[in-house]
Amino acid sequence: MTTTTAPFAYRQANWPILERIREAHIRSWERLAAPGEWWSGAERISIAAESRRASALVDGSPDPGPGPVSLPEAATFAVHKLVGDLPNVSRDWYEQTIRAEGMSDARYIELLGVVAHIWSVDEFHRALSLELEPLPDPIAGAPTQRRPVGLADHGSWPPTLAAEDLAESEADIYDGQSGAANVREAMSLHPDSVRWLSDLFDAHYLSWVEIGGEQESFRVLTRPQRELVAARVSALNECFY
Amino acid sequence: MLLGRSSEGNAALNLDGTVRNEVDSGVEYGEMLLRYCNASVGRSDDLASARAALNNAMGADAVVDCAATIANFQRMVRIADGCGIPLDSFSRRESEKWRDSLGIDNFRSRSNTFG
Repeated sequence: MTTTTAPFAYRQANWPILERIREAHIRSWERLAAPGEWWSGAERISIAAESRRASALVDGSPDPGPGPVSLPEAATFAVHKLVGDLPNVSRDWYEQTIRAEGMSDARYIELLGVVAHIWSVDEFHRALSLELEPLPDPIAGAPTQRRPVGLADHGSWPPTLAAEDLAESEADIYDGQSGAANVREAMSLHPDSVRWLSDLFDAHYLSWVEIGGEQESFRVLTRPQRELVAARVSALNECFY
Repeated sequence: MLLGRSSEGNAALNLDGTVRNEVDSGVEYGEMLLRYCNASVGRSDDLASARAALNNAMGADAVVDCAATIANFQRMVRIADGCGIPLDSFSRRESEKWRDSLGIDNFRSRSNTFG
């Protein structure tokens, strides 16, 4: 594991990768390395490393090796399940996972946030046959262990924050909207995962302007073309939602 | 499912084409986009050829845009299925007419959304 001096140096790639994508990927690595609410920076990087190991296992490629610190057994298992066995993730499995030693609902959601976002950046690289970016060095510091106020059952497995119940410290996570998209709200037990999700969603897929129906000048695919690809990725993953 | 709902008013997109290779999606360059998508998500040996075909037809900017869309939804499906996100009752009702024909009612993650 090394820290790159020029992270995501796409100048060496043969593809015209937008600066806004590169910048979002750099911010992803900064988020990854920093201490979270429930996992340290080193643990978050170990989660990311484990997601790469899970991917290698599925692909039959060489094991890239573990991260800097060991993880609870249930966390390691959860990473492999979310990467390599997604269609079999179920409520029973979720309930079992959050009750396992070293886990909780908040630790699970933060872990899911790390797995999903690192997997996404890596998948961008794989689709273009680019080398995966080396994982960053961890930033020292203890997790804050701060659980948002106002969490309630809104239908997802973990408790979530409704837009009207946001405290000042989380007031930004739904961009000031009166209601949140379900995917955003589902991650709100770990607010920084919602911010991360919004950042990459904007860079990879749709900005707020485009949600309103306009097309940004830097996009090449039309909205129907992007929705076609999006629906096929969901179908290939057997994602009902 | 959610994409199907948002596409209902989109005359350019044939929903059957989103899940079946043999059906024309009705979207310009749809076949090439789906070939690249299938190869990337499916870890197929066809990846380089599919990408080159898309590059020749639509250009390198389109390849990058498509790779970003693939990456985005590789993330979104994990969050949706990792949290058991529910579907609102209106979407449940309105999607009944095409869910069965698309075969998505057979997805194992259906129980996560329907409880």
